[in-house]
Amino acid sequence: MISLSESVSQTRRSIDAAIRRWDSAAVIAAATVLYALTYLTAIGHVFTGARSFDLVVVADPLARFAQSTGTFLWEPIARVDAGIVGYLFSPLNTGLGLLLGVLVGLNLGVAYLAWRQPKACGISAGSGFLAAIPALISGSACCAPVLLVVLGIQASGLLLLAIDVALPLGVLLLLGSLVYVGRMGAAGQAA
Amino acid sequence: MERQVTRRAVLAAGLTALAGCTGGAGSSGGTTTQTTTDSTTGATSTTESGTTTGTGDVPVAESQLPLEYTFNELRDAVHTGARKDAIPAIDEPVFVSPDEAEVDDEAIVFGIAAGETVKAYPQQILVWHEVVNDVVDGTPLAVTYCPLTGTALGFERGTTTFGVSGKLVNNNLVMYDRATDSWWSQILGTAFRGQYEGDSLRGHPLVWTTWGKWRDRFPDTEVLSQETGFLRNYGNDPYGSYNPKGGYYTQDSTLFDTLVKDGRHHPKEVFVGTRGQGGVVAIQEAEIADRGVVPAGEYLAVHHPDLDATYTYHNPEGVEFSAGDTGIVGPEETHRPDDLPLDRVMAFDAMWFAWVGFYPSTEVIA
Repeated sequence: MISLSESVSQTRRSIDAAIRRWDSAAVIAAATVLYALTYLTAIGHVFTGARSFDLVVVADPLARFAQSTGTFLWEPIARVDAGIVGYLFSPLNTGLGLLLGVLVGLNLGVAYLAWRQPKACGISAGSGFLAAIPALISGSACCAPVLLVVLGIQASGLLLLAIDVALPLGVLLLLGSLVYVGRMGAAGQAA
Repeated sequence: MERQVTRRAVLAAGLTALAGCTGGAGSSGGTTTQTTTDSTTGATSTTESGTTTGTGDVPVAESQLPLEYTFNELRDAVHTGARKDAIPAIDEPVFVSPDEAEVDDEAIVFGIAAGETVKAYPQQILVWHEVVNDVVDGTPLAVTYCPLTGTALGFERGTTTFGVSGKLVNNNLVMYDRATDSWWSQILGTAFRGQYEGDSLRGHPLVWTTWGKWRDRFPDTEVLSQETGFLRNYGNDPYGSYNPKGGYYTQDSTLFDTLVKDGRHHPKEVFVGTRGQGGVVAIQEAEIADRGVVPAGEYLAVHHPDLDATYTYHNPEGVEFSAGDTGIVGPEETHRPDDLPLDRVMAFDAMWFAWVGFYPSTEVIA
């Protein structure tokens, strides 16, 4: 039975290895950016339909950036219109999107590395992606359960609670998944 | 019809709406309207008159609007859709000229023409804010919109402002006043929790139409700007679309349970509802557009073809009007649809489930 600290150490070694190799590092970077963009799109902060090139900043960004508009959602303090693509910049949501993106990226990068190690087994790149799904769903949990409206689902207390806990649950799953694939990756390297 | 919560037994809404009923939940009526016409724009404005009888800063109507539920039943039916003020009201609205408006011609706007003031509030902005604390022709007004019930109503707000509580009853917006934090149901126009419990607001009807039609009718109108103090994707309605109609606005489902389920019509079918002196009546909007003039008890609903909107009047004498080629033909002359020689009443578009949920005893004309 391997201890938690050993598992974490093995995971760190796997992450280090994944970062050092150019191909697995590229997987991490691409997955991080892609996931962060997907998350920001899911919460409506990245969108199409902008009509111009423009930058607008709210009057008091320091007072505004920490104002909550829902579970894990905060007020945007700037809007960037770049042709047809628009971006509402909320520092906290952008940071959260990047954090989730990094976790997904590391999962996929380490899983990719383990897959490239011929003696590693029982692991696939899909495991990291599956762990990311709850976090992605939680990203759509806007202040007025818009996701449920879009899907035509009637809200219940249990469902609303599930949406509220989806993001922290997603982070936990991503961390657990990372330790799991990290151990496999380390085992593959040791073998 | 299946009831979702118990309700106090009431007589038909028409009886409860008799003027001079005693106060308290379930009583109603007595609210009168005053119509003024502006000489330059020809615009008519209507106010439910009353006195500032409540404690605090909110001007309330002389008597309570019709209710078919006790306040306890309404409080028990509350759902939480968002945190308080998570949907931020617009407290410092900025208006621009039609040339500067970033609104498509087919986009929905809620118009108000009162005295010297003509304003349009785009649905694509209100869907993100639900309340605009404005001043119209010198009167402080809260312009309110609930996307989940498709209802837009104006209310006098006195010296206070209104915010979005994040609560819903029958999927309908529950506002709160910032003077006392009382909870006000938008469709009922009545507070059901807090210091103002039992008081009704004085309403101002808004005109639900499209930007192109409103601008053509009122070329000098102002329009609410996207400079709201907040940053949103105002081109996008997170619930669906009105052009073409889709998403939530056509689905069978609602976000939360409704107060009643009544399968006589599609839940999202639009009715024009009014509740006041002449009772509680819902008229199918398509019927009004089709016939031009629809008598409904003490009310008269008139279709305004240029605005594709409904103007509703109190017609207790049953004066006969009919739709003519050049306007609404009365006993003596022809009138513009928005300028009949009758008192205009507070009436508004509402989705069927929302109206029948609050007023199960409503008279229905379809």
